[in-house]
This record gives sequence, C-alpha cells and structure tokens, in this order.
Amino acid sequence: MNSRLLKELPDLVNNDVISQEVATNIETYYQSQDSNSPNRLFVVFGVLGSLLVGLGIILILAHNWDNFSRSIKTLFAFLPLIIGQLSVAFSILKKKSKTWNEASGTFLFFTVGSSIALVSQIYNIPGNLSTYVLTWILLCAPLIYLLKSNMLAILHLVFITFYACEIGYSNYYSNETPWMYLALIAIVVPHYLQLLKYSRNDNITSIFNWLYPLSLTIVLGTFVKDYSELGFLMYILLFSVFYNLGKIPFFDSQKLRKNGYLIFGSLGIVVLMLAMSFDSFWYVEQLVFFAQESYVSLVLFIVNVLILGFAYYKKWIKSFNLFQYVFILFSLLYLGGLNQPVVGTIIVNILILALGITTVKIGADKFHFGILNYGLFIITALVVCRFFDTNMSFVIRGLLFVGVGLSFFLTNYIMLKKQKSKVEALKQ
Amino acid sequence: MKTKHIFILFIILAIVQLCIPAQMINHRESILKEGKVFKFKTEPVDPSDPFKGKYIYLNYELRSFKVDNVVWKPSQDIYISIINDSLGFAKASAIHEEAPKNGDFVMAKVDRYSSAKEVVRFTFPFNEFYMEESKAYDAEVAHRNAQRDSLPNSTYALVYIKEGEAVLSNVFINDIPIAEFVEK
Repeated sequence: MNSRLLKELPDLVNNDVISQEVATNIETYYQSQDSNSPNRLFVVFGVLGSLLVGLGIILILAHNWDNFSRSIKTLFAFLPLIIGQLSVAFSILKKKSKTWNEASGTFLFFTVGSSIALVSQIYNIPGNLSTYVLTWILLCAPLIYLLKSNMLAILHLVFITFYACEIGYSNYYSNETPWMYLALIAIVVPHYLQLLKYSRNDNITSIFNWLYPLSLTIVLGTFVKDYSELGFLMYILLFSVFYNLGKIPFFDSQKLRKNGYLIFGSLGIVVLMLAMSFDSFWYVEQLVFFAQESYVSLVLFIVNVLILGFAYYKKWIKSFNLFQYVFILFSLLYLGGLNQPVVGTIIVNILILALGITTVKIGADKFHFGILNYGLFIITALVVCRFFDTNMSFVIRGLLFVGVGLSFFLTNYIMLKKQKSKVEALKQ
Repeated sequence: MKTKHIFILFIILAIVQLCIPAQMINHRESILKEGKVFKFKTEPVDPSDPFKGKYIYLNYELRSFKVDNVVWKPSQDIYISIINDSLGFAKASAIHEEAPKNGDFVMAKVDRYSSAKEVVRFTFPFNEFYMEESKAYDAEVAHRNAQRDSLPNSTYALVYIKEGEAVLSNVFINDIPIAEFVEK
C-alpha cells in the first residue's frame, strides 16, 4: 500500500497535483514509520523455523528408537526440552528482540509436548489424548505472558480447540462436555485485550479477530448433547453475539476484512436461517426446557441483550439493523413455533427476505457494492432453496427467479449511476 | 514487570515443565521396581498415535468376567483381582466397584454389561505397546504366524502391578521379546 503510494508520487508531482515539498514530506513520513517497526518478515520466518523444527523433533522421537536403552531414551525426552528452556531463558535475560521471544517460545512449546509424549512412549502409558493435550497447554500457557508472545497465544487457541473437539466430538458415546475449554480460553483473553488496546490496527490483532470466533464456532457444538434441536438456537445466538460485537464502533470502524466477528456473525445467521427455511426442520419430537442446551442458550441470550443494551446506552446504534435483533425474534419463534411447522417456516422465510433487504439497504447507504450484492445473494439463496420445495407452482418459482435476476441488474445499475453523478459533482 | 521478575517466574515454570515428565517417570519406575509381575495373554494389532508414534494395540484374552448383579455402567472405573492360573498366566478372581483391601488387583474401565451372557466386558489401561515404527505392523503379522504354527496363543504381555496401577513392560511371542522376534 505504502510502496504503491510512493511510486505514484513522481507522477502526482509532474501533473501538479501535489508540490515537490509535500511529496518529500510523504516520503520521509513513511520511511520513519518503516524504521520504527521491527522487521516483521524476520519474526515470521523465525517462528516458522522453530515451528517446523519443533514438529520435526516430535516426529523423529515418535520413531521409537528400539536400539537405545530406556535411560538414553529418557535423556532424549529431556534434552530438547532443556534446550528450549535455555533459549527462552537467554532471550528473557538478554532482553532479546521480539523475533527471539516468538521463536524460542514456539520451540519450547513443542519440546514440552514432545517430552511428555516420549515419556508416555517409553513407559507405554496409554494415550488419553485429551488429558495429554491439556497438560501440554497448561504447562505452556504462562509463556504467553512471560514472553508477550502472539504465536504462543495462537498455538494456545488452536490446541484448546483441538482439546475441546477431542472431548466433545471424537467419542460419540461419551457424554462429556468440555467445560474446561471456557477456563482455557479465559487464560488468553487478557492477552487479546492488551492487543486490542495497544495495537488494534495491527495485522496480528485482526488474525485474533478471526481466530476467536472461529474457535468458538467450532467448539459450541460440543456443548450440544441430547437435544440437538436446541443446537440451532445456540448457534443463532452465538452468531448474533458475534454480529453485535462486530457492530461495536471499535470493530465496525475498521476495515471489513479485519472484522471477523461481523463477517462470521452475518454469514452464520444467514446460513443457519436458510437451513431452517425448509419446513421439514420444524417437525421436532420434543422440546425440553431444563437441559444443558437451554442453559447455554439462556446465557448467550443474556450476553446479546447486554451488548445491545450497552450499545444503546452509549448511543452507538443510530439506525435500525434487523441483524442485531434477529436473536430475539428467533428465540420467541423457537419457543412458540416448534411443532407448528407452518408458522416456523413462514416466519423464517420472511425473516431471511427482510435480512436480505436490510443488507441491500446497508450496502446502498454505504455505497458498498460488496455489501449490496451480498444482500442480493441472500435473497437469491432463499429463492434457490424454495426451488427445491416441490409444492410450489413452476410459474411462481420462475417469476421469483426472474424478479431476483432483474433486481441484481437494477440495484447495481442505480448504484453505479449514483456513483458517477457523485464523481461528476466533485469534478465541478 | 522487571526482567528479573519475569526470569524468576520463568524458572519456576521451567521447573514445573521438567517435573511433570520426571514425576511420570518416577511413578512408573516405582511400579516396575516394587510391583508384582503378571503375564496377560494377548493379541497385538497395529495403530498409531499422532504424537507418540506407532504402537501395537493389545487385545487381552482376559476382557470379561461373569457377574450376578447389574450395577455396571459403561466407562465406570472398576477393580479386578488378579491371580495366576495353573499355566502361570493372569486370570481374574473377582471384580469390585471399590479397591479391594488385599490381594493383587488392577484398575480397568467397563465397556458394557451384557445381560444375555451376564458378563461385564472391560478394557485394561495398559493396552498400548510402543514399538519402532517399522516393527509395529510386522509384530502383528509375527503374532498371526506364531499363532498358526504353534500351540494356542503364546503371545503375552508382561505387566507390573502395584496398588491397582500397572506398567506394561514388554510383550513376548513364544517367550521371546516381540521386538527381537520381529527381527528374526
């Protein structure tokens, strides 16, 4: 981005858009910024290097060298761990650069895992994978704060997600819920808050803006046990939490691609709603109110209300956006609409249409072609889903398709025209 | 925080990181030293673990026990009293919900209770034996072959038992350690 601007500078000067002085000022400004920031590429390669070396050590030790005696194998279990610890101690004591911290921390992370694995291997300790991963995560969690390491926080998130899936999804018969996951994710939240506070515009922060919703989305399903009917409600409520978080000015004022919450929330709500727009979904055998799933739903509902309430209190909400309230409508629908397929199906279809129109309106207001077409895409998806409902006449279905197709042309055309007239007005 | 404080905290963490595997080793070594040894007839199969490498999974012959009550739930921890049979292999003499006061016993997990046969099926926690990656599959084949040309099942696991906990020390085919048997 900066280099493109710098390349354009001579052209701008030649065409008398800016003066030579302004051009020099711009150049010096970007150069001073560059020299302040640490060499990011170096950090990336350092971390990548130790990641690969660490994983390589795990694989080499997993060969199970038969020729070595038990004591030599035990020595090998500790050797990489001690090397990792010494390199971390060195980077702390010598106050080494960020690259050193990140790379040595990543290396130590993997050697901790390899040493426990090798000991289990030497003594044939049977693998309860989730306990093993939990021990590993807990032994490395303090490093996130001691080294102020982003990579270790990413590894923590990845491994706690793996841990929760291992407990919740891997064994169909087990009735375990990974409650521990909540405590484990709480460990890294302070690190994330620090990032949001001091480096909100950095790329690394936006990586976390995507990783947190991703991890939570993957894991929420492990909290669904006996009443999968309520799973849909839980997920709609979670996506709504994401959407409402993404609408907080702190995130909303950033570039859309950095706002993982908003994109996750919006896509999640739309996809789930589309799944529920089929009438077969609403035939439910039983609805139970006193179950783990309903308590989780209740908590998510309260979180939604709190975020919305706070947004009102701070006067952040200026215009009506259906996405932010869909969770209320949906919860009511869930309580009343189950076992009444007609009611549920009709209301969900109307809701999706309304969400599509809302999105188109937001896109038009913001002059954003991407959002506008996303809105149209929602409506198209709805129409395509209805295409499979065979009890609708072909004529009506045909008319719907033609209508949506035309609306694609028209809305984009009107927007383009508006944009042109705006540009012309600026020229004059 | 000052570097000194960070360093002290790191040293504490490093010690904990070293202690966990050390404690695992210590615990197992004490069972190997002080525990009583039993032979469990078994059958090896060959899976692998993403972190620990290849192991052979041991299907023990001793995996069910006849009972006359139905209190057994899946995944429940149970205690199995172990004695030697006339041929010197381990067999179960009783199963308990709580650890028995005397005799040798080992912990296991209930798979299920079959009401038709009135037996409890269970799994021992020492069913993974780690081998060099090239040998694990050969071990399974070797067992199958040994099975074919010799007397009934001659593959057994040597297990040390102390206060309910067990360490699997080695697996033998025809009294030869399985790693050597495979090399032959």
